[in-house]
Amino acid sequence: MVWEPVETILAALLSISLVLVALLVVTVKDLVYASLLLAVLGALTASFVALLGYYLVAAFIIIVYVGAAVMFIIITVSMLGGGGLESRDHLKGAVVASLSLVVLLAVFLSYFRVPEVGLPLYVDVAGLIDRVVVEYIPVIAIILVALAATIIEAIAVARRG
Amino acid sequence: MSFTLLLVIVTAVVVASVGVYGLTSSRNFVRQLLSLEVIFNAIILLIAVMLASGPAVATFLLVVLVLIVSGEVVVIMALVISAYRSGKSLESEILGEEGV
Repeated sequence: MVWEPVETILAALLSISLVLVALLVVTVKDLVYASLLLAVLGALTASFVALLGYYLVAAFIIIVYVGAAVMFIIITVSMLGGGGLESRDHLKGAVVASLSLVVLLAVFLSYFRVPEVGLPLYVDVAGLIDRVVVEYIPVIAIILVALAATIIEAIAVARRG
Repeated sequence: MSFTLLLVIVTAVVVASVGVYGLTSSRNFVRQLLSLEVIFNAIILLIAVMLASGPAVATFLLVVLVLIVSGEVVVIMALVISAYRSGKSLESEILGEEGV
């Protein structure tokens, strides 16, 4: 399968939107609005991932990440009321971010070879689920138990305060 | 290297750097968590491109990653609630002084 020009333009628009929304998340003063913008960022990431061909992952991001985790952040931040004034060190942040941008770009563009694949990618979801159910049930069980333990720990920490 | 995959990589790296900016410039717990989540979104995009030759593996890895990050969000927000109850502030330096 070959990507059409419309999808390339859509990918470019999504890229610009992602960067702008990410900038807003870290710069908007009100933490409630910043949390809401994080939900928008998650939705944009899901759109980008769906555009690449990972439809199951996109649905999972929207349902689990945006629908549960980010909503939990929004509700908690709204209940806390923002936590008062925020002190910031813009110079330190700008220096570290610039350095990380240069280093990451150099590493990924120099050493990493992007596979030559046609887009959108084809993922055999039924085959993947069959394989996971047959071969990786213990791994899934461990992950689910670990998640349950994490949530119980979180409830205990929140109640202890 | 195709233009689109290059675009995804550059976008992910820029978004990750924006997250690093938020993480290092602010001392507010919630802002630092939001910046971590911005970096997480960039990592999703990077993994989606890096494992494009094996999309089934990438799908499984990304689903597990989203699950783990959701658990991480719950624990950090629980710590934020606990810290806010103790110190009435979300500044990490003040919380450190009060031994929260």
